Amino acid sequence: MNDRQPDAGATTLATSPGPASDDAQLLRRIGQGDESAMAAFYREHGRVVFAQVLLVAGERVLAEEIVQDTMLAVWRGASSFRGESSVRSWVIAIARRQTRDRLRGRRLRVVDDAFLADQPGSGPGPEVMALDRAELAEVMGAIRELAPPHREVLGLVFSSGLSLPEVAAVLEIPVGTVKSRLTTARTALSRKLNEKGQNR
Amino acid sequence: MNTDPADTQSPHLDLDDLLTEVSGHAIGDRAQEHLAICKYCRAEANRWNLVAGGVRGLAAAAPESAQPARPWDIAPHVLAGPRRRTLLAASAAAALLLIGGASYGVSTALTGHAPSTARTGTKMAALTAVSGCASLEQADGTLEQVNGTSLVIKTASGQSVTVTTTASTRASMFSAPLSDITDGASAIASGHSSNGTIEATDVSVGLPQIRSGQVQTPPGIVSAQGTVSDASAAGFTVVTSTGTQFPVTTSSDTRVHLFHASLSQLQADASTIAVGHVEPDGTLAAIAVLQPPPGWHGQLEVGGCSPASIDDAITTALVSGR
Repeated sequence: MNDRQPDAGATTLATSPGPASDDAQLLRRIGQGDESAMAAFYREHGRVVFAQVLLVAGERVLAEEIVQDTMLAVWRGASSFRGESSVRSWVIAIARRQTRDRLRGRRLRVVDDAFLADQPGSGPGPEVMALDRAELAEVMGAIRELAPPHREVLGLVFSSGLSLPEVAAVLEIPVGTVKSRLTTARTALSRKLNEKGQNR
Repeated sequence: MNTDPADTQSPHLDLDDLLTEVSGHAIGDRAQEHLAICKYCRAEANRWNLVAGGVRGLAAAAPESAQPARPWDIAPHVLAGPRRRTLLAASAAAALLLIGGASYGVSTALTGHAPSTARTGTKMAALTAVSGCASLEQADGTLEQVNGTSLVIKTASGQSVTVTTTASTRASMFSAPLSDITDGASAIASGHSSNGTIEATDVSVGLPQIRSGQVQTPPGIVSAQGTVSDASAAGFTVVTSTGTQFPVTTSSDTRVHLFHASLSQLQADASTIAVGHVEPDGTLAAIAVLQPPPGWHGQLEVGGCSPASIDDAITTALVSGR
């Protein structure tokens, strides 16, 4: 069904960041060394970036360090922003690279789409039933136990304020792959919930 | 996919529609009409709503991130992760806390070596040297009794060491009763988050205000730092410096750590160490008294002879022995 609004493809799925022009202006000021602009930038984007990094990294101190590295990269690289994406997706992409670099060789198992594709599909079954029965708190707990790529796509889609095309750009994969990864993540979540239900 | 003639003849909503619906944005009229009559799509929308709610709940439950150091300050000091981590631990030992789990990057202040210096006399034989400061001695044993401002520690060899204290002696303990969490105290509560409430596994009371970046929590554990209010047997509220309130529940499993205890709060028969200077009469004039984590039998290792160095070592001992 494709009768949605013309701009729905770029619909923001969570709290929208400030107007793009304001963000771009902030970056211009940061590029000129304006410290107050950097502080304003952090206020605008810091919490969302931190939440996304924490979701993937799973450790608060590590997440704080990654956010700090990210903000340092913003401070140094603000003048390189070309406006080809939203500022929010630009900074989240920076944070993602920082996260990947910090977790590389540590404990993040890089799961590619070939692996994800091997996971079961999302057809109706006991796992979907588990999702139907689940409470929010259980879902939150199960999300924490998902593989990092699953946590990552869920956070980007539902919490970062990015549109699907922006998520695709951040992940450097096609939009269709974002959708399939999202569906796979939900299936994995349902299976977790199902396992927990059976263990109760 | 998603065809179910029993529900409707029209195609089901695709993922774009469902995500748009979940986001609260308007979907097209046809999609809305379909959603109104299709229980399959409503169920799918509800499932995605639940997933989205879980993700947003986690984001909302994420503790406040410490604002990064100003870039113009940290830029010259950017280091590779492990080294920066070490520096962080070393430079802020007094404030670097590990709440509620395994050790992550804590520079240990504990060593397990045996007494390094031969002593003469009964009292002196009961004491051990403190690594890092030649003039300090340590008594290590169980707390036998408290007599006003002095206490008696019975060592493993059965010798009793009298320890004297002053108003400036710092006493700390790893395991205190929940009743020691009182309104107005500064505290860090950590544990699992459930619907915005922290189910505390650890509560550290009496800490100076520290940067949240210096609080290390294992994966899945959140922490909140602030002032205690509404303390009761079941829990309390942490009010952060920004006024945010985090409800905290406690249980018999909650560990309470007092960073500044009174002598009367120390637990009799609990493992206890005292660090200070030996007086001519053989008593130990304590700079610090610590009831460490259960099972710990190490020695203090200080970075110097200053009270601040000892303070740092005590704090690290409290948080690294779990």
